[in-house]
Amino acid sequence: MAPTDPAAEPRAHRSMAAAALIGAAVMAAIDEIVFHQLLGWHHFYDRSTPAVGLLSDGLLHTAELLALVAGFVMWADLRRRRALAAGHAWAGLFLGMGGFQLFDGLVDHKVLRVHQIRYGVDLLPYDLVWNGAALLLVAVGAALALRARRGARRAERKGARRAERKDARRAERKDAR
Amino acid sequence: MTAAHGAAPAAVAALLMVAVYLTAARRLRHRGDAWPQARDASFAAGGIALAAAIAVPPPAAPFTGHMAQHLVAGMVAPLLLVLARPLTLALRVLRPGRVRRALLVVAHSRYAVWVTFPPAAALFDVGGLWLLYRTPLFAATHHLAWLHVVVHLHVLAAGTLLAFAVCALDPPRRRWSLRWRAGALLAAGAAHAVLAKTLYAAPPPGTTFATADLRAGAQLMYYGGDLVELALAVTLAVQWYAATGRALAADRRRNSVTRAVRG
Repeated sequence: MAPTDPAAEPRAHRSMAAAALIGAAVMAAIDEIVFHQLLGWHHFYDRSTPAVGLLSDGLLHTAELLALVAGFVMWADLRRRRALAAGHAWAGLFLGMGGFQLFDGLVDHKVLRVHQIRYGVDLLPYDLVWNGAALLLVAVGAALALRARRGARRAERKGARRAERKDARRAERKDAR
Repeated sequence: MTAAHGAAPAAVAALLMVAVYLTAARRLRHRGDAWPQARDASFAAGGIALAAAIAVPPPAAPFTGHMAQHLVAGMVAPLLLVLARPLTLALRVLRPGRVRRALLVVAHSRYAVWVTFPPAAALFDVGGLWLLYRTPLFAATHHLAWLHVVVHLHVLAAGTLLAFAVCALDPPRRRWSLRWRAGALLAAGAAHAVLAKTLYAAPPPGTTFATADLRAGAQLMYYGGDLVELALAVTLAVQWYAATGRALAADRRRNSVTRAVRG
């Protein structure tokens, strides 16, 4: 991965990964601040959490912290190399947010039963809205990713054509001489 | 830590340690060496926080107060002390002689390599906490004064070891890779978070605390731990950013040289 400066190539996958890490961590922070602290809907620990749920929660919670830092430092590194692909980064941000929300809604709440969205209410509408919002975020991310890929291909083709024309002109000049 | 068992001398020792560091740093600067002021500030803050945790009884319910002291003595103060690179300072300021040689022998021993192996340091630290809170050990520290002191020394020493191993700022004989250090941080953070959640539900065996106190203490452990883990992660990230930046700059220099040669 030799950095080719100053005409740095945008690095699509890395841009997407860095933003996805930030997106997942941001969603986790929103979950922690809004649902745990402000609304008080989620319980810190609802005592019915099985051991494996507790373990996965601890791992995930620490991983989010590290992901936030890792995502930002990767993003700063891409900026420094002038290799940030903005379209892919936006796609990654939404994919990370939606991916985390979906994982939290399905695996944490339903499979591992770490805690529920709210207590003492009919959970079904809450679960539907939660996971529906997650799917919406993932869909937006996927659409942005497709658009970014198409855009990158177009730019590549344009670049190739420009290079071709340049080569042709150079050849013409040579012939003229 | 109550103000009883030798708390005053321990607090004074922590402040003395700060005085020694500041004197050494001043001597180094006097000699003409560069030594960032931020390191002095970090070490002083760590030493003062440690002395306060030892000597000042926290204005909170028993378990929450205990947790606040542990957070400062086992996580915050160790990180601040380690960020100031005390070993580097000692090696630079000490004249060649028996003390410096002994320090080098210990720092570069094979034993030190394994003790500062990040997963091992994480096990000493968080494994010790699990032993403390999930066995009758915690109840026993309330009856035996010497055990109380030993436990607190272990918390401080193990916390410092973990911060030292994860940050790897002082020159070690072997520098463990970023993967090992970040992995150990993840594992230690997860084990710390799980322990905090179990404390929320049940007190350490053989103790009784008011429910509100227990829950507040457990949440303080959980979120307080987060803050220090975040600071450790930022330290690792800054190191990575600086190291890749140096590689990038070297690469650019090489590229410009080749371009100049070709052109």
